[in-house]
Amino acid sequence: MPAHWTKETALKGRGHRSLGRRWRRVSTRSVTGRGPSRDSTGAVIGRWDPAAAARNPRKVSASCMGRRRRRVDRGAAVGALPEAIAALSRTLPAGPSPEIFRRAKFDRPEAAPALWQLLFRVLSPLSANGASAPAAQEAQVRVVKSELHSQGYPRRALAQLPEDGSQGSRELLLALAWLLARGPLLERLLAQTRVRLGDEIPLCECEALARPGPPVPRVEADGPVDIRHLQWLMGKLRFQWRKLITSQQEQCALLGKIHSYTRGCHSDRSLGHLSVAETELLRDAEGGQQVSGGVAGRSPDRCTQRARTLGMGPRSFWGDLWLLCEWPGVLQSSWTVSVLDPGRSSACGLDAPPRSLLRRLESENVRLEAALHWRRQELVFWRWMDTVLGTCPPEASQPTFVPRIPERGAGEWELVARELQALQEELRGAAEPRRAAWEARVGGWGPEWSAVQRASREAVGLELAALQRAWERGGAAAQPHGPCRLVKSDAGASGGPGLRAAQVIEVLRSREACLEAVLCQLQRQCRQELARLAGALPGLIWILPPGR
Amino acid sequence: MSIVTVQLGQCGNQIGFEVFDALYSDSHCPQGLCSKRENEVYQASCKERFFSEEENGVPIARAVLVDMEPKVINQTLSKAAQSGRWKYGQHSCFCQKQGSGNNWAYGYSVHGPRHEESIMNLIQKEVEKCDCLSGFFIIMSMAGGTGSGLGAFVTQNLQDHYSNSLKMNQIIWPYGTGEVIVQNYNSILTLSHLYRSSDALLVHENDAVHKICAKLMNIKQISFTDINQVLAHQLGSVFQPTYSMEGSYHYRRNPLGELMENLVPHPEFKMLGIRNIPQMSENSLAYSTFTWAGLLKHLRQMLISNSKMEEGIDWQVRPPLSGLPTLGKVSLNRELHFNTSIANLVILRGKDVHSADLGGFKDPALYTSWLAPVNAFNVWKTQRAFSKYEKSAALVSNSQFLLKPLDTIVGKAWNMFASKAYIHQYTKFGIEEEDFLDSFTLLEQVVASYCNL
Repeated sequence: MPAHWTKETALKGRGHRSLGRRWRRVSTRSVTGRGPSRDSTGAVIGRWDPAAAARNPRKVSASCMGRRRRRVDRGAAVGALPEAIAALSRTLPAGPSPEIFRRAKFDRPEAAPALWQLLFRVLSPLSANGASAPAAQEAQVRVVKSELHSQGYPRRALAQLPEDGSQGSRELLLALAWLLARGPLLERLLAQTRVRLGDEIPLCECEALARPGPPVPRVEADGPVDIRHLQWLMGKLRFQWRKLITSQQEQCALLGKIHSYTRGCHSDRSLGHLSVAETELLRDAEGGQQVSGGVAGRSPDRCTQRARTLGMGPRSFWGDLWLLCEWPGVLQSSWTVSVLDPGRSSACGLDAPPRSLLRRLESENVRLEAALHWRRQELVFWRWMDTVLGTCPPEASQPTFVPRIPERGAGEWELVARELQALQEELRGAAEPRRAAWEARVGGWGPEWSAVQRASREAVGLELAALQRAWERGGAAAQPHGPCRLVKSDAGASGGPGLRAAQVIEVLRSREACLEAVLCQLQRQCRQELARLAGALPGLIWILPPGR
Repeated sequence: MSIVTVQLGQCGNQIGFEVFDALYSDSHCPQGLCSKRENEVYQASCKERFFSEEENGVPIARAVLVDMEPKVINQTLSKAAQSGRWKYGQHSCFCQKQGSGNNWAYGYSVHGPRHEESIMNLIQKEVEKCDCLSGFFIIMSMAGGTGSGLGAFVTQNLQDHYSNSLKMNQIIWPYGTGEVIVQNYNSILTLSHLYRSSDALLVHENDAVHKICAKLMNIKQISFTDINQVLAHQLGSVFQPTYSMEGSYHYRRNPLGELMENLVPHPEFKMLGIRNIPQMSENSLAYSTFTWAGLLKHLRQMLISNSKMEEGIDWQVRPPLSGLPTLGKVSLNRELHFNTSIANLVILRGKDVHSADLGGFKDPALYTSWLAPVNAFNVWKTQRAFSKYEKSAALVSNSQFLLKPLDTIVGKAWNMFASKAYIHQYTKFGIEEEDFLDSFTLLEQVVASYCNL
C-alpha cells in the first residue's frame, strides 16, 4: 500500500463528507503542523492552504504507519480507495487504471490523454458505439469541452486547457467527479450498453433521428446530368425499398414461428417463449454447453444432458426442444432446412453469433458487479476527491454560470412579443383592403357566388380542423422511448405490463395518416407548380409517362 | 425467398411444366462438378425457391395454372404426376370449359372480371405457403386470347393486391408469320398493358428459339415441346442459385429482386432478352470442351450484333470507337447494326468460373452514355455446373435487341387499325378505339426511347 495514500486520507477530514470526530482528530494530529483545524467544517472551494500542500508529504508516512495499526477501520478504509477507484473504472467504458487517477490528482501530464478519452466516451456514447475509428485527439477535446459547457460545468480552467490533450489531468478528474455527482451517470451508461436478449423492436424514432448518419457522398455533376440516369437511380431506390419490405415480412413470419414453437420453454412465465437470441444460444452446441436454468425452465439435469446433443442438426434440435418443452405440436415438417441455415440468421435479426453473445453477457456481468462494488465503496472516493479539490490552486471566485436565459431575458421576450404584434397588424392591414377589393369585384355575381364562397369557407374550415387534429395526434401518444421486447401471448391473456400491439398499431396508423396528409399536400403543390410551368410555355405539349 | 409462378393459357402451361422440370432435373443432376455439401445447399436453395414440401416428400411446384380450356391443364398435371419426382398441387389449377377464341378483349374484359376472385384466391393460397415471397413469375403468350388478355388482367390485379412484390412476365413473342390474324392487335394491347403494371418483361421470340432447335440442336421435326425445352433451359440457367457475392460461397437469396434492380429500374426500359451459350443436343455434349475465353467472346459478339445463337454471328459488327458520339437517333429506315445496351447481367456456371475474364463486357462503348459500365454490368457466378454443361454462360440483357421486332409489330398493327379491320370484335367486349390509341402511343414512346440510346 503506497505511503502517499495514507497521507492523503489522513490529512483531509474536512468538508461535509467527513465522517466524524475520529477523522478530525487525525487531521489535528497530522505532522504537517497545522493546528486544530477550525475550518474543517464545510467544504469550501479554493480555501485550502497552499503552504501545507507544498510541504514534503513523505515525513508523514512513518507516523501514519503507526497509527494505521491502531485504527483498524481507518486502515480498512485506506485500502479501500484504490479498490473503489478500480471498481469505478471497471464500470465506466474505457476506464483507466487507478494509477492514472492518482497521477491526475497531481496534475501529471501523462494522465491527461486517458482521461480525455474517458470523458469523451462518457459524454458522447452515441458516436462511441457506432464509430469505427476513434476520433482524433483534438476532436475528442473539443467535444468534451462543448458537452461540459452545455451541461453547465462551472470551472473555467477546463475550457482553457490546450486542445492537444496533453495537460489538465486534475481538471479532468474534477470534471468526471462533477458528472458522477450530478446525476445517475453510471446507471445511464450501463443502460445504454445493456445486452438485449429479447427480440427488440423500436417504438419511436428518437434515437435514430438523433444519431447522425453516415456522411452523404456529394457527387458534383460536371456538366449537364442526363435525367435518364436520375430516373435509373430512383428506380433502384424503389426496388431496394420493396426488397426491404419483403425482408421485413419474412422476418415477421419467422419470428412468429419461433415464438409459437418455443411456447412454454421460458422460465419467466410472463414471457412464455424464447426469443431468437435465446433460441440460438440453445442451439449452438459449443456456445450452449451449459444450458442455464433460466433459459430452459424444466428438469435441469435433462436439459444439460440434452444440451450436449443439441446442434447436431435441425431435426434433432426440434426433437430436443420438444422434449425440453413437452410441447406436442412443435415439430412441424414445414420447418425446412433452409430456415435454420446459419446463412439465414441475418434474416432473424441476430447481430452476434452465440459465442460472442455469451462473452458480452459475461463482460456485462463484470461491469454490473463492479458497479455494485463501487456503490458500496464510493464514500471513500468522495473523500479523496475533496483532497483533489484541495490541491488545486485557488481560482478567482466566479459567479455560477447557468446556461439558461440571462437576466436580460425578460426584456428580450417582450421585444419579440412586440415584434409579433407589429407583424400581425401589418398582415391585417395588407389583407383587409385586398379582401374588400375581391368582394367588390365579385359582389355582382349573384347568389351562386355566395354558395361558392360558403363551400370554399367550409373546405378551408375542414382543412384547418384536419391540421389541428394532426397536431394533436402527433403529440398525443405517451409511448415509452427506445426499443421494447416483442412477446407473443395468447389472445385471452389479461393485461400484463407493457403495451398491447393494438395500441402501438393505432398510434402508427394515426402517424401514417398525418404523413399521408402531408404527402398529399406536397403533391398538390408540385402539381400546381407543374401546371404553372406548363402554362408558361404555350407551344409545348406535355405527355405524361405511362402509369396508373 | 420464394417465387410463385402463374401459368396462363396453353402456351404458359406447357412452358411452365418444362421450366419446373428443367429446374428439378438440374438440381438433382449427379454431375454437378462440386462437393456433396455444396450440392446439397444448391438443391435446398433451388427447392425453397420453386417448390414447397409435402408430407410424403414429393416436392410441389409453387405454381398456379390457369386456362379457359381443360385439355392442356389436364395434360400438364398428368405429365408432372407421372414423373414421380415432383408434381403440381392438387387444387392449384383453374380452368373453364370455354376458350377465348384468340380475342384479347374477351380474355381481358369477360374472363378476367368473371373469374377474378377464384384466380386471386388460388394465388393467395400459394403465397401463404411461402415463408417469404420474392415475387411472381407470370408465363404467357402475347398473341393468343387467354394468355394475353387474361394475363394482362391478372398482372394488373397482382399490381393492386401485392404492390410490394416484384412481377416478371415471361412473354412469348409470336412467329412473324403466325397463324392468328389478329396477333398484332393482341400483341400491342398486351405489351402496353403489361408495361404499366409489370416490373420486367422477359421476352422469348418463337422464331429465334425455332432456329436454335434447327441449327444447334439438329432436331428434324421441331415440336412445341422441343422449343419449350430450349426455353426452359435458358430460364433455368438464369434462375438457378448463384453465389451472393465475389468470393463468397453462400447462395444468393433474392435473384429476382437483384436482377430487376440491376436491369430494369428505369420505367421506360423494361424489355429483357436472354442469350445462352453453349446450346447443343445431349449427344454432342460429350464431345465438346470449351474455354471461358471462347465462350465469353462469342457471347459478347452475340450481344453486339444482336444475334440469337452462337452460329451465324456477324463478326463485322464492332462497337463505335470511343470519343465519337454514340449512334443516337438512328432512324429505323437504316439497318441497325450495333446493339447498344443499357444494362447487362452475365451468369457463369461451371468449372474454374473464377478465372473467367469479363473485361470485354465492361467496355463503355457497349453501353449507353448515361450509365457507366460499373453500374450497368453485373456478373453472377457459381462453380456448380448447370444441367451437364461443364461450362455455361447466360446473358440477360436490357438492350435494343427487340427494337426491330417491336417496330414491325406496331407498324403492322397500325396498318390494320387504320383500315379498322377486325376492330368490331374488340369493341364488342369493351375495348374501344381509345384504348388502341393509348397502346400505340405508349409503344411508340418505348420504341423512341430505345432508339435514342
